[in-house]
Amino acid sequence: MKRFFTILLFLATFFGPLRSPAQQDRNKVEALRISFISKRLELTPAESEKFWPVYNEYNDKLRAIKRNLRTSYHKKSGELSDNEAEELYQLDVQSKQAEADVHKHYSERIKGIIGVKKTVKLRLAEEEFKREMINTIREKGD
Amino acid sequence: MLPVCKGIFLLLGFQLPAQSSFDSLKIKLPKHYFNTVIAVDAYRKKEVPFSDTSKALSKRLKSYGIKQFYVNFYTPLATKSWMGADSISKNSHLLLTGTFVSLRPVFSGITDHNLVKFGIGMRYIYNTGKKGVWFADVSPFLTRDVSSPSKPYYRLASTFIYSQNESPNFNWRLGITKSFQWGNRYYLPFIGIRVGRLDKVNVSLQFPRSMSVNVPLNSKVILSLYTRPQGGMYNFSNVDTLYFKSSDATFHFTRYELNSGLRVDVRAGSHINFYLASGLSSRNNISFYSEGANKNRPIANYNTYFYKVSLPNSLYVNFGLVLVFGKTRSYYNEKNIYDAADLNNVIGAPNGNIQVPLPAKNTSKQNLESVRDLVDYNDI
Repeated sequence: MKRFFTILLFLATFFGPLRSPAQQDRNKVEALRISFISKRLELTPAESEKFWPVYNEYNDKLRAIKRNLRTSYHKKSGELSDNEAEELYQLDVQSKQAEADVHKHYSERIKGIIGVKKTVKLRLAEEEFKREMINTIREKGD
Repeated sequence: MLPVCKGIFLLLGFQLPAQSSFDSLKIKLPKHYFNTVIAVDAYRKKEVPFSDTSKALSKRLKSYGIKQFYVNFYTPLATKSWMGADSISKNSHLLLTGTFVSLRPVFSGITDHNLVKFGIGMRYIYNTGKKGVWFADVSPFLTRDVSSPSKPYYRLASTFIYSQNESPNFNWRLGITKSFQWGNRYYLPFIGIRVGRLDKVNVSLQFPRSMSVNVPLNSKVILSLYTRPQGGMYNFSNVDTLYFKSSDATFHFTRYELNSGLRVDVRAGSHINFYLASGLSSRNNISFYSEGANKNRPIANYNTYFYKVSLPNSLYVNFGLVLVFGKTRSYYNEKNIYDAADLNNVIGAPNGNIQVPLPAKNTSKQNLESVRDLVDYNDI
């Protein structure tokens, strides 16, 4: 038993700090956002079956594009050579293009599943949630 | 023919740019829906003296308790996702599973025995995308008494289940399972019913595995009231000559008990979960049987015991740590993936359904860092 607790302590020390509080907050925000959108959309069970896998895939891709760009900027935050600047510039343009393409592609798919009215409702809900989050942060800052 | 061709070109023209512009960024997305999960579990049951010592072996054994330690894991090997003709997302998953158990039955009248079980298995899950999830698990394992000279024994545990999610609030399951948890090697029917969402308060009856009422207190703590059988069949060294034929190096030891208690699961972080459970262990049974002797009696059952005894109730305590590795695809509100995660929890590592996201309740205490993926500069 003592050995078990020693192992446990070691693992807890090792795994504890792996995720920063910000990362955990991001997961929480994601859970909040999904719950917010679910309430606003009022999907039927049949729509729900088709919608969530597509919407999750869409978000995974969009998030990955944003993070990839952000990480690239962070990596090259010091003095840039001409080549590095060009690479970053190209990546920035490509990322924005990819975001737009992914958005268009998945919006069409989502529209096919839940119809145009609910697709617009979805975008409104996303915006509303974003606003709510920004207001929360603002209030916290005041 | 022409409209069809047009349709195909339109489809290609529409789909390719999205995919190619994304692919050109060479971003790696998570492949699997399941994390690699390792559960480390320690279980201890208080030693109680044999109440009925009319049997000679009971007198020799004197008392019985349990010290058990196990490590259980599963890891995804392959995931295939595709879109059906009906625009339904389907996926199949192949997982590698493993178990290591060290069981020390504490008999104060004889030498210490360390009964080890080691197994590697495969698990296949097919999500039909609609209401059903198919689940198959095959786990061959070896048992051996490592404290004394003995030979290993091979067994095969397996489970096959169909799980139907009528709605997020109601699920039923039907299948067949051979788990040795009831101290025998029978195939038992698997019958499961759950009322309530997996991420909210739910009542779950999963015969012959468990019965529980699960209450998420917040996004980090889940409280469960449960009843679960615990047991197994192990090789036991005959070093103490418990079986009269001293020429038999080993015999089989079977045990089962029904544990009823309270369990608290704490999601300490995205990669770590721990739990503590305690309660009353009832219907304690142990038995010994000789396979050789039973084989020599063709009409006898495989489990004709040379010693079998029921023991008084006792208290138990169970503590576990669940480690979660890697990133997965998002599966928010995908009830079939939640269900598959629950099947992994019921059949394999008891991870407290760490993969089912619990709803967060408040919007306060957020910082800019946490909403970075949502906001643009112009939004602020």
